[in-house]
Amino acid sequence: MTDVHTDPAGQAGPPVPARDRAGTEAEPVLEAGIGERDAADAPVARPPAGHFGVVAWARWAWRQLTSMRVALVLLFLLALGSVPGSLLPQEGIDPAAVQEYYTAHKTLAPILDRLGLFNVFAAPWFAAIYLLLFISLAGCVLPRAYRLARSARAVPPRAPRNLARLPNSVRFQTGLSADQAAALAATFLSRRHFRLNRGEGWLSAEKGYRREVGNLLFHVALIALLVSIGLGGLFGYKADRLLVEGNSFADTVTDVDAFHPGHFVSANDLAPFTVTLNRFDSSYIESGQDRGQPSVFDAHITYTAQPGGTPRQYSLQVNHPLNVDSTKLYLIGHGYAPVFKVTDGQGKVVYDQATPFLPADQATYLSEGVVKAPDAQPDQLGFAGVFLPTAVDLNGQLESAFPAALEPAVSMIAYRGNLGLNSGVAQSVYQLDTTGMTRVATSDEVLTPGQSMKLPNGEGTLTFAGYKQWVSLQVTYDPGQVPALISGIVALAGLLLSFLVRRRRIFVRTYADQAGHTTVDVAGLARSDVGGGFEGEFAELSRDLREHITASRKETE
Amino acid sequence: MLGVSACGGQIAANTPASNGNNFVAGDGTSTYYQAGHRAAAPTVSGTTLSGSQLNLSAYRGKVVVLNFWGSWCAPCRKEAPTLAVLSEQYHAKDVQFVGVDIRDQASAADAFMQNFGITYPSFNDQSDEIALDFRGSVSPAAIPSTLVLDQDHRIAGRVIGATSYGTLNTMLTKLTAGT
Repeated sequence: MTDVHTDPAGQAGPPVPARDRAGTEAEPVLEAGIGERDAADAPVARPPAGHFGVVAWARWAWRQLTSMRVALVLLFLLALGSVPGSLLPQEGIDPAAVQEYYTAHKTLAPILDRLGLFNVFAAPWFAAIYLLLFISLAGCVLPRAYRLARSARAVPPRAPRNLARLPNSVRFQTGLSADQAAALAATFLSRRHFRLNRGEGWLSAEKGYRREVGNLLFHVALIALLVSIGLGGLFGYKADRLLVEGNSFADTVTDVDAFHPGHFVSANDLAPFTVTLNRFDSSYIESGQDRGQPSVFDAHITYTAQPGGTPRQYSLQVNHPLNVDSTKLYLIGHGYAPVFKVTDGQGKVVYDQATPFLPADQATYLSEGVVKAPDAQPDQLGFAGVFLPTAVDLNGQLESAFPAALEPAVSMIAYRGNLGLNSGVAQSVYQLDTTGMTRVATSDEVLTPGQSMKLPNGEGTLTFAGYKQWVSLQVTYDPGQVPALISGIVALAGLLLSFLVRRRRIFVRTYADQAGHTTVDVAGLARSDVGGGFEGEFAELSRDLREHITASRKETE
Repeated sequence: MLGVSACGGQIAANTPASNGNNFVAGDGTSTYYQAGHRAAAPTVSGTTLSGSQLNLSAYRGKVVVLNFWGSWCAPCRKEAPTLAVLSEQYHAKDVQFVGVDIRDQASAADAFMQNFGITYPSFNDQSDEIALDFRGSVSPAAIPSTLVLDQDHRIAGRVIGATSYGTLNTMLTKLTAGT
């Protein structure tokens, strides 16, 4: 990797005042093999010790912040800071679990809440870490980009006095005058796209500035990448929705299960499309080593891009999202939704719908779920249990043997009492709060499609009518995605360019002697000849240059 | 946590299941728009839970309270008695209550209305298309949400989350007084 951060040596400990940053940050790769340095890179003398003014402290702080060491520490803190996010329940992901944590840990929870540990990614300290990291990166990359831009426009330095000392050099004689020879060398080199600098009796030429351009591109693209990711975070959103076969949903805040907006996203910014799940096909490998592994997931959907728009068909598959006006719809999961019908004690149907159950076992799709009939009379009814796609009886223990619904069955436990819904506290649709309920014995707890179980004393009936499948969908809008991709590609191209292109210099000095002959010294120097091969290039180039000069001599004669 | 919710699977990590509530709950904030600052409500029509056709324009000239609800939603169950009382109280004052039943199913919704003594009609809006119609003007951002339309069917008030008697009563008093 190109050095994004260089760690200037000797910057730990107390502030070392005003040592020019450019000097300490010379790029080791670029400068390798070059004896000289631009004047700007030269270290500035230390001011007398003991005078740490505000400016010195500010400089020191800035240098610390933009150093490699601090960037790494920040990166580590960022990783460390996300840990509580996975250990503790999070407000944005599972508010019900946070509530439960509060009731379970009455003294600890308020303290954790003050520290923002229930909403880590929105906590001020977390924001401080990533903002500092951003500043650290920008503070390192921007000045570097500026220096690279200057270096890409730089004029080759004066030719050294003694060219024979350089690792690659040749000397030859010519009958031309020193000026003529130098002029010929200049035209030869500029035709080969060298950048020239000429003086009295010397000529220096350099090429391979694309290396600097590549390096510059890499650094600028890196900043663009950071900005794009930020852009996505601020203006993008993510929404999840679980959809049962035959049902529809609209991309509105009310109609999604979970909504994670960026800071500048309002409810009105959602793409106004509607999606209907017509059918979900899933098939699994039925034999062999991979038995039970999914082979096909295919959600057949009908969607309209705008209200009143033309309905279109689409086959939504894993990694084959639907793209509606740069908002993407992904298929991220699936499961079973047994259809239940609940009749209450007064003979009224109070529940009749497909109820999504959550897979508890990915291998067999044994799924868990609940049915709540809050409007059942005289008592509210609740049922909790499992759906078994392929039910088998293992010594009295009911298990699912295969993820496909070959022998579907449900096993449900009935409860009666207060579901706790009327108090207005939001609760999970996948959980039954049985604190206000009592379990009731029922005629049969295992049902196959079409079978019913009766509650005692005519308090109600639960019928397992059949099953449907559901898919979980994710709607994502990330305006930073395309810029981030472009930045990534540019960064990679820039990096390749900076690795593949070699910056090399050719120096020519011409001396006239008393005999009327001219001695031409040609020397070459590669900056950062990492891959090697400059010697060959120099040999060829100096031979051609010599031929160019000697051939012209013949023409002039 | 109950054993039922042993969300061990991979699905639980990245699906609505992880939200638990399965809907975006509102926080009970209310907004009242003064006359002259009210956006026109879109034309809303559809099938009611009882199966008949309803167009909101039929109530032009009346104040309309549009309540987005679902029988499965706990805050909706909490505010339901309030809405039932207010709809009776303002019946004579030319205020029409209309429900928009979201992601629900007719038998459960019927039982809900019967239990809470709700007599006003509700659109059967399984796929939430009516909420989508309100996008761009004032969109009810969470369930339950209540929109109050003035006599010209401009959006005069909005309550996100379960409404209290006081909040809605204040809005309706202002609107029926002609302010």
